[in-house]
Amino acid sequence: MNFQKKHCVAMLLAGGQGSRLMVLTENTAKPAVPFGGKYRIIDFPLSNCVNSGIDTVGILTQYQPLELNEYIGNGQPWRLNRSHGGVQVLPPYARSKKSEWYKGTANAIYQNIPFIERYDPDNVLILSGDHIYKMDYAAMLKYHEQQEADCTIAVRTVPIQEASRFGIMNTNEDGSIYEFEEKPKKPKSTNASMGIYIFKWSVLREYLIADEEDPSSENDFGKNVIPALLNSGHRMFAYKFQGYWKDVGTISSLWEANMDLLGTSPEFDLSMEKGGRIYARNLALPSSFIAKSSKNINSLIAEGCGIYGTVIHSVISAGCTVEEGALVEDSVIMPNVFIEAGAIIRHAIIGEDCHICRGAVIGGSFAPDEEKKISVVGKAKTIAANETVKPGEIY
Amino acid sequence: MNTMGIIFANIYDSSLGELTNKRTMASLPYGGRYRQIDFSLSNMTNSGIRHIGIITKYNYQSLMNHIGSGQEWDLDLEEGGLEFLTPYATDHNASYRGKLEALNSAMSFLKIAKEEYVVLVDSGVLCNIDFRELVANHIASGADVTVCVKEGICNGVKQLDMAVQADENNRVTDIAVDYCAGEKYLASMGIFVISRKLLMEKVTEAVAHNRYRFERDLVMYGFAETGMKVNTYRFNGVALFNESTAEYFHNNFALLDAKIRRDLFKKPNQTIYTKVRNELPTYYGEESEIDDCMVADGCVLEGKATHSILFRGVKLGKAASVKDSILMSDVSIGEGAELEYVILDKDVSVGAGIKLRGTYEHPLVLKRGESV
Repeated sequence: MNFQKKHCVAMLLAGGQGSRLMVLTENTAKPAVPFGGKYRIIDFPLSNCVNSGIDTVGILTQYQPLELNEYIGNGQPWRLNRSHGGVQVLPPYARSKKSEWYKGTANAIYQNIPFIERYDPDNVLILSGDHIYKMDYAAMLKYHEQQEADCTIAVRTVPIQEASRFGIMNTNEDGSIYEFEEKPKKPKSTNASMGIYIFKWSVLREYLIADEEDPSSENDFGKNVIPALLNSGHRMFAYKFQGYWKDVGTISSLWEANMDLLGTSPEFDLSMEKGGRIYARNLALPSSFIAKSSKNINSLIAEGCGIYGTVIHSVISAGCTVEEGALVEDSVIMPNVFIEAGAIIRHAIIGEDCHICRGAVIGGSFAPDEEKKISVVGKAKTIAANETVKPGEIY
Repeated sequence: MNTMGIIFANIYDSSLGELTNKRTMASLPYGGRYRQIDFSLSNMTNSGIRHIGIITKYNYQSLMNHIGSGQEWDLDLEEGGLEFLTPYATDHNASYRGKLEALNSAMSFLKIAKEEYVVLVDSGVLCNIDFRELVANHIASGADVTVCVKEGICNGVKQLDMAVQADENNRVTDIAVDYCAGEKYLASMGIFVISRKLLMEKVTEAVAHNRYRFERDLVMYGFAETGMKVNTYRFNGVALFNESTAEYFHNNFALLDAKIRRDLFKKPNQTIYTKVRNELPTYYGEESEIDDCMVADGCVLEGKATHSILFRGVKLGKAASVKDSILMSDVSIGEGAELEYVILDKDVSVGAGIKLRGTYEHPLVLKRGESV
């Protein structure tokens, strides 16, 4: 078979279990977790690829891949159903000599060297599947090539008091990286790595092979490959990203990122005018019916819903029903949830396909400066009539 | 299924005035996110009909744009799939007068097909129907032609293309065309089943005698003059006849009834598909007041809407008030504007403070892209 040469191939690490999302990822890989009413987390990096002109994407899956595989399908919703390139789901597979799971992020790419080689790319873009943001990778690629870099790492500025929670890139004035510190106690700069890397493929290939041969390596980009490149004096640059970016790896950050979509000029604007369209696999649902008894304030409501109750400052995903007299406030309701009359849901994330029975009370209210303890109901659970899920409780 | 489908995209266009001025009946937007043809295409694909010809006469650009490769209906197939039968794609009869001439132009499409039966569908009646049952019924009855009918439509006022009377065995006993039939008649839904061979034979024969209308010159003529056996299939579900602007207007509001919505959209394994637009979820602002409305995705709603249909991407400004109206895709309503009984076609923009009013029987229609 003939493969067209590609300038840049993207590899999307989607194997993470997302254990900090608890019940929401019990049977779902983190990248397949619903977001923003009609999206899944993976729609963001995938759409960014398409909007940046990258048409060859390998998706590395490992944990609970069924739903994710089904969701990605042939890649048509992202126009990635191409004859040349397109989207490929790459699970670990058995080989004749040895077979193993992906041991780490670098090992996952190492195991797929044959996939990348088919396209003979100049560069490889490494992405992760748990960030919400819009980014033009083409601009980063251009910077990478202008700097004649071997590796370019996207960074964003974080407040200095938070910098010790991140991988920090210390740079010279020209943007070149002289030091990488993982979660430094005394951070020297505020350039936090976003886990987005562009490598010159010839260089990365060499280092992946060397890393694999090193038995002491954890086969991780941040811990092993990046430091190895840096130590041997390769040209490495930090690419400053300005714009909204959120790691939605925890319950509270997932909730916050959803809330950031609300308002007339939201913190994170999904509209096409603001940095491109986000594509998603759409369900074939009719329009939403908004009843006379309903009240919807400062909220996003997706298609196929029936709203009879009150919805305030919330995200209601596709196919949900909110019955008359039910209240949903400061909450994220994932797809196909049924909320019966008189149920009260505040500061909560309700997983897909849940049924909240009559009079159930989930979560609570908090003062503006108080820490918001988010209650979570896992996928496909039923909360019985008049049952209570306490603030911060994970059901 | 051993059945192919033919969809007539424009048959009643003239009766919907400005709404079908620049588009076919089939591509007329309906219900917030659909085009009328979505129902016919989905009914066919849900019933296992995988070989479909769409007969178009003119104005079919928006239709082709909507359907594309047919991927949304799983009809982008190697074998069978969708075929557009446009006038200029055929050897003659660039402008045919009726369905028989159109079918005659599409004779090569019918000839090379392998399916034994053909389901023929107009684009003016919306329903969610299982054609498997219809075809099985046709085969079991031994009829030459089966016409799908709906009770309770004929009222002596509405003119029907075709109305029939039938006996207790569903055998047709009387056929009338272009007739304001009374209550004892059953209304044709514009859905017919016939064997492919018989259809080809009858079309050739009719056109050779300068007869061109399907209902009058094939069904009624065959029934009255040649002893053709015509049967009815009584459809029990919701059937919405969108054959005039007023009917179209009222039938959009029919969706505000939960029973009708359930019948059209919630039948198991009978999903109605449409083209995806990748819009955001709709945003409801602090002061929005939306009561008794169907709302599609991608809208930004800051004002008030009552008993209305809001299509994708509608922008409703603060303190604007919309009542009993249909706002098609990407319509924008300025602050404080007041609308009652209007149909705003795609991309219409209404300035701040403007007042527009029609009546329930005669809604005011603004053409695509107009600004007020």
